[in-house]
Amino acid sequence: MTHATGAGAGSAGAGSGGSSSPSPPASVEGRPPEGEPPAKTPPAQPPRRGSPSAAAVWRERILGLREGSIIVVTLVVAIYFAANTSSFATSANFKTLLPYFAPFAILGAGEVFVMILGEIDLSIGGTYLLAPYLFYKIATAGLPLVPSVLLALLACMAVGLINGFFVAVVGISSFVTTLGMLFALEGLTLIISHGQPVATPGAQVHATTHNVTHVVNGVHVQLPETVNHISTFAKVFGGGVYSELIWALVLVIVLQTVLTFTRWGLYTVAVGSNKLGAAEAGVRVRLVTVRNFILCATTGGLVGVLEAVRSGTVQPDTAGANEILFYGIAAAVIGGTLLAGGSGTVVGALIGALFLGILHDGLTLQGVNANYLLFYLGLAIIVAMTVNVYVQRARRGAGSG
Amino acid sequence: MAEPPTIPPETVVAPSPAPDDVLRVEHIAKRFGPVTALRDVSLHLKKGEVLGLLGDNGAGKSTLIKILSGFQRQDSGVMFLHGQPYAPKSVDDARAKGIDTVYQDLALIDELSVYHNLFLRRERVHRPLPFLANREMKLQARRALDEIGINIPRIDVAVARLSGGQRQAIAVARTVNGDADIILLDEPLAAMGAKEGSMILDLVARLKEEGRVSIIMILHNYVHVLQACDRVSMIQEGVIALDKPTAETSVEELTDIVVNEYRRAREAAHSEEAAVAE
Repeated sequence: MTHATGAGAGSAGAGSGGSSSPSPPASVEGRPPEGEPPAKTPPAQPPRRGSPSAAAVWRERILGLREGSIIVVTLVVAIYFAANTSSFATSANFKTLLPYFAPFAILGAGEVFVMILGEIDLSIGGTYLLAPYLFYKIATAGLPLVPSVLLALLACMAVGLINGFFVAVVGISSFVTTLGMLFALEGLTLIISHGQPVATPGAQVHATTHNVTHVVNGVHVQLPETVNHISTFAKVFGGGVYSELIWALVLVIVLQTVLTFTRWGLYTVAVGSNKLGAAEAGVRVRLVTVRNFILCATTGGLVGVLEAVRSGTVQPDTAGANEILFYGIAAAVIGGTLLAGGSGTVVGALIGALFLGILHDGLTLQGVNANYLLFYLGLAIIVAMTVNVYVQRARRGAGSG
Repeated sequence: MAEPPTIPPETVVAPSPAPDDVLRVEHIAKRFGPVTALRDVSLHLKKGEVLGLLGDNGAGKSTLIKILSGFQRQDSGVMFLHGQPYAPKSVDDARAKGIDTVYQDLALIDELSVYHNLFLRRERVHRPLPFLANREMKLQARRALDEIGINIPRIDVAVARLSGGQRQAIAVARTVNGDADIILLDEPLAAMGAKEGSMILDLVARLKEEGRVSIIMILHNYVHVLQACDRVSMIQEGVIALDKPTAETSVEELTDIVVNEYRRAREAAHSEEAAVAE
């Protein structure tokens, strides 16, 4: 009886993930429409020269993208791990990777909007920590789950509003403002949580036992199987296997669209590129700044809720929050967003997050000692960014001619 | 503290207003803390006229331009636009009333394309959706640039890649494109070679020919002033020291005024030294 149940649970677990393709996750990439040089049709040349020039066109096209170099670097890293680690390019590993990189992609996407302005938002670590506790408090006070999440995110928007106010109106540097806000929010979380973890509302796992008919050697056998259920709410807000990936992809698509195709994005680039000029042209610099800080703080809160639902507990872990904050910023920076402002893409942040995820995952699979992991990660970031700088320089040189 | 050298009162000019003035400025004053940028400035601008604004560095030209364009507010004095009181609340407000400015620092966004710069704050969108109508903007930008004779090979590149003259031309085109009827040009020929400068002067000449817009232009080169402007006003130490049609003045006269200013300033400095020595 016990044996049969165990085997059944195992088969149910393997069955649910069978549909995903085993292709390396690096194929998840988008292409923004701007910055793409027109394809040069090679003039009539001997056919032998045709293929290298086509390769050159492709090279130029890839490098023409702001994220071009990091796409290349990410692919190289993914191919390296796929070739050297048998368990890397598997669907099971793919599912391990998803919850690891998706949160960074979401945080990076929000951070891109602030960093294009030439600012930075460290407070996302604070909203990441605080939002799930607010959600817990509101939900346990009796409100339904979804409105509780929305209220918690509303509080994060208020945090962004305050950040934006101090940066755009009072004129404190965003680093200082949001650093203060980070500490304040983490402290506030510790105060209201008394430093104790709690179970995430709506994320409880229900186990039910079914009799499932199996055909064994032509004989129909009914065996009981335990199946774990989570609520629809939990499936949507981070509990489902692909939930965080879908959130990340949808948000990246929406925010990249906002950045490239709407006035919001245009003014964001304008303010980050030439604040005075944008003001003289009539762009409301303060409004643009405050709006982007609100967006960024909210992504921090959303990731906090998603992670709390996924793990089933709300943890007042300030060190973890600080770490995820820096991974989020790293994703944006690796993805080609300039700390100096004026330039950056949301898709780049997604690829940056993917790069971090693949690197972390691949090193883990290779059995790298946990103590070395962070060290290698740090070196890899510096190497990747160095490559990035040189590729961008080459691109600029080629572009101006 | 010694008073700054002052201009003798008989040289302060209050231009006589005419009925066809599109813009009239009366007794504008502006201080920044202890610094008086404008003491008492009066100006007028006729329809289709190109007015050259001259003056030494720090004389208050740029301050005046910023007040006219709604970027700053005067401490005292009044302005009239088409005979109506004019007190712009913001750059947007001034622009809505038909006054647009090409600033010295150009207010171009290096990272944005030529056509996005041309349409900044006037973007076309696919109503009711919030998406930018890029194709429409590109077409209109191309047409607008052709109309005023600016040759920019590619309008979908970032303006950072363009030359100084092209950037200036785009900044000018932006104001013309924006249905402004009064354009303020703050040193349009600054840091520009002869070829590029003549491109801008040709552009101004074409706009003058059209007669639709009136232009106030800050310039440093007197030859350019006499060539491009109908009338010239000179600001010295926050007041208008000269206001004449260009036909009635000459490079010599304009130079004399400036030389006299230097002479007065030197005498004032000497007498101050003498006072200190005693």
